[in-house]
Amino acid sequence: MIAFKPQTLLLPALLALSLSACQTTSPTAAGDGSVSYGDAKAVETVTTDLGSTDIQMIAEKMTQSLLQTPEVQTAIKKRQLLMASPVQNKTSEYFDTRLITDTILTQLQKNGVKYVIGGEDMQNQVDELRRQNQSGLYKKSKSAKVGNMEGAKYRLDGSISSIVKKGSTVKDVYYKMNLRLIEIETGIVEWSDEKEIRKSAKR
Amino acid sequence: MKKIAMTAALGLALLGTPFILQAAEGGSIASKVEELGKMTHLKVSDMRAVKRDGLLRIQVTIANSSSDKQQLYYRFRWLDDDGFTVWEEEPWKPELIHGLQKKVISVVSPSFKATDFRLEMQSPENEGAPFSGNNAPGGITNQ
Repeated sequence: MIAFKPQTLLLPALLALSLSACQTTSPTAAGDGSVSYGDAKAVETVTTDLGSTDIQMIAEKMTQSLLQTPEVQTAIKKRQLLMASPVQNKTSEYFDTRLITDTILTQLQKNGVKYVIGGEDMQNQVDELRRQNQSGLYKKSKSAKVGNMEGAKYRLDGSISSIVKKGSTVKDVYYKMNLRLIEIETGIVEWSDEKEIRKSAKR
Repeated sequence: MKKIAMTAALGLALLGTPFILQAAEGGSIASKVEELGKMTHLKVSDMRAVKRDGLLRIQVTIANSSSDKQQLYYRFRWLDDDGFTVWEEEPWKPELIHGLQKKVISVVSPSFKATDFRLEMQSPENEGAPFSGNNAPGGITNQ
């Protein structure tokens, strides 16, 4: 007869218990483990192309800079409106520049800045106003009136450019984003700022 | 006692008087800095904060004691008086610090609600890197 010491039995029992605990408590669906979630705020250095970290850094710098300007602080107090014009992408890459302006507007809005829609979003707004006023389906007293939209006092405008240099062993990319706050009525640039980013990679 | 001094310093910051946190003063910089792993070459040598126009302004000097350049990753966490976060998680920001350089980082709080902060710092030679992709030494650098 083989006698087991209590300690030798305890370890496998504990292991089995911990493994079964992992299988039952993990809130994941079945998968082979090849897909995982990463940190959306992590520094992304997969290639030298403009990436999430660059977009986030540009938007953050511009928001911080904008919040300090007297025009924006007055706009918050007096409920003056902002809008964003499409930022020109002058780099050699394709990316949606609204990624930058949407983040800036969202972060400003969290601080009390009011902004109006424009550009691509305008069609949906016009469609809804027409539906409420021209379809004959809505009560007059409960529908949004035409002719009451408010125009912005300021607009954000800017561009992003890049210089790419390639040596035999190194690739260097320099990005520069320029953003301006323009008073629409006068065309005066009330504020402008730049963000520079340099990325290099060994080839 | 240290807590009282810190509260007084923050009180001064709220009044618009800048306060300076120094390493010698009972580790008051240490109370604001969270290092992800012990950093051997990079150190916060000076830290100042002031509340101006309702926004908290921070200036941090990072000193590199190595003669080689060092990659730093950092971000701020913005808090209110009660220690609650008042802003979403900031993205990690890369900063290249040349050999023996003292680099000044100036930031402004992204929200009027921020009255306190923490600085999270990491240098790739330590554990717990917040970066993804090919960022090992000799890989892509981002400045």
